[in-house]
Amino acid sequence: MTPAGARRLVLPRAARVFAGPGGRPVEVDGHEIVAVRESWLIEDRWWTAQPLRRRYWEVVTVDGRDLIVFRDLVAGVWNRQR
Amino acid sequence: MIICVLLHRFELVIAAGGRAALAQGPMALAPQPGREQCVGEVSQAAEALGIHPGMRLGEALSRSPRLALIPPDPVGVTDAWERVLARLETVGAQIEGEQPGLACFEAQGLHRLHGGSLDGVVSAVRSALRLPARIGAGPSRFCAIAAATGARTRHARLIDGAAGLAGEPVALLRRRDEVGHLPAALERLGILTLGDLAALPRGAVADRFGRTGLIAHELASGRDTPLRPRPPSERLQETLELEESASGQQLERALGLLVDRLLARPARRGRTLRACVLSAKLVEGGTWRERVVFREPLSDPVRMRLVLAGRLALLPAPAEALRLAAERFGPPSAGDRALFDDKAARRRERLRSAVGQARAVAGPEAALRVLAVDPDSRIPERRAVLTPFEP
Repeated sequence: MTPAGARRLVLPRAARVFAGPGGRPVEVDGHEIVAVRESWLIEDRWWTAQPLRRRYWEVVTVDGRDLIVFRDLVAGVWNRQR
Repeated sequence: MIICVLLHRFELVIAAGGRAALAQGPMALAPQPGREQCVGEVSQAAEALGIHPGMRLGEALSRSPRLALIPPDPVGVTDAWERVLARLETVGAQIEGEQPGLACFEAQGLHRLHGGSLDGVVSAVRSALRLPARIGAGPSRFCAIAAATGARTRHARLIDGAAGLAGEPVALLRRRDEVGHLPAALERLGILTLGDLAALPRGAVADRFGRTGLIAHELASGRDTPLRPRPPSERLQETLELEESASGQQLERALGLLVDRLLARPARRGRTLRACVLSAKLVEGGTWRERVVFREPLSDPVRMRLVLAGRLALLPAPAEALRLAAERFGPPSAGDRALFDDKAARRRERLRSAVGQARAVAGPEAALRVLAVDPDSRIPERRAVLTPFEP
């Protein structure tokens, strides 16, 4: 729950992602991915009308950036959070 | 000319209860609790077995399994050394005496007071001390220390610079903390005297031993840093005998009482305290001493207790008596600080005013702070939020 009067940080924003076999990102916003550091699945609020189902990927781009991207499994779109 | 007064094995004599006790066999001061495991001063019998101050405890015991370890008595040593320094100061000397048992002073200004010669000053020192002391003189502190180390108690000795030092052993460097570890290495390299060391090229010494090597080279060449005499001081202290051996909360209450008593002493004359010495007599024998320098001069009992109580945790054993002494005073007038002159409150007020002005110009979101709500969440947007900053 967000405290009253507060604003969230690191909100998801749309990203252009090309995925390879198994849904593994190979390019994010024009940056080639050289490594996947971690991947995890989130399933939350399934008891509500707006369930949260995301497949997260923490990846490293060819220029050394550490990004977190996820595929929204409900809406079928890619977002990034860092 | 600098004069050095050396009371050989001062700390060991005080801890052992007198010079006569040293004749019973090889003895050394045990390491202080929580400090490096090295022996302190050693008796003559122990020295004959190759044990020297600063040697690792294990090595000392392997050289002599009969070595008696005497618990250190830092409180007794400080008191006794203070009495010695006070006697020396009656001669008119400005004394440098941070290391118990070793005091140095500049004799230049004292000649006229004591017969116009160095001998007159030395005689005055002997009659003021009333203790068997070795006295040496030299153009630098290290020369004077070297002279005193080789002197007999009835005859002062003079070492007149590098030429006089040349035949002295490098082991003399153990008298100086910063180069105390060098003699062993030098001896292994066949550099046995200060003359051998002084004859080496400066660059070669620096290459092998670094900065400490250069200091040793300077000392061996008869040069040393200027003396730093202690400022005139006054002793203000409070002691509490604890009826039962105390630790933990009992000890903290006793400390609170000592702080209140010390601050209430009229001799403080409203001054703040910059440094204190907390010491204790331990149930198991021996004493414990801890010097505490406050971040700023204090006369607020609550803040003093907060600082000093943390040091009580370092006590190695329950205490029979606790003592708090004021070592350095600060300026007066900070006594009312907690009530009327609170910097933190003024800073908060200024910050509040600045935030108000920023919001008036840029809206309610002009000053925000990050609040960690669920920092370990696997959903990044749930980890932290921005919330209005309220100073």
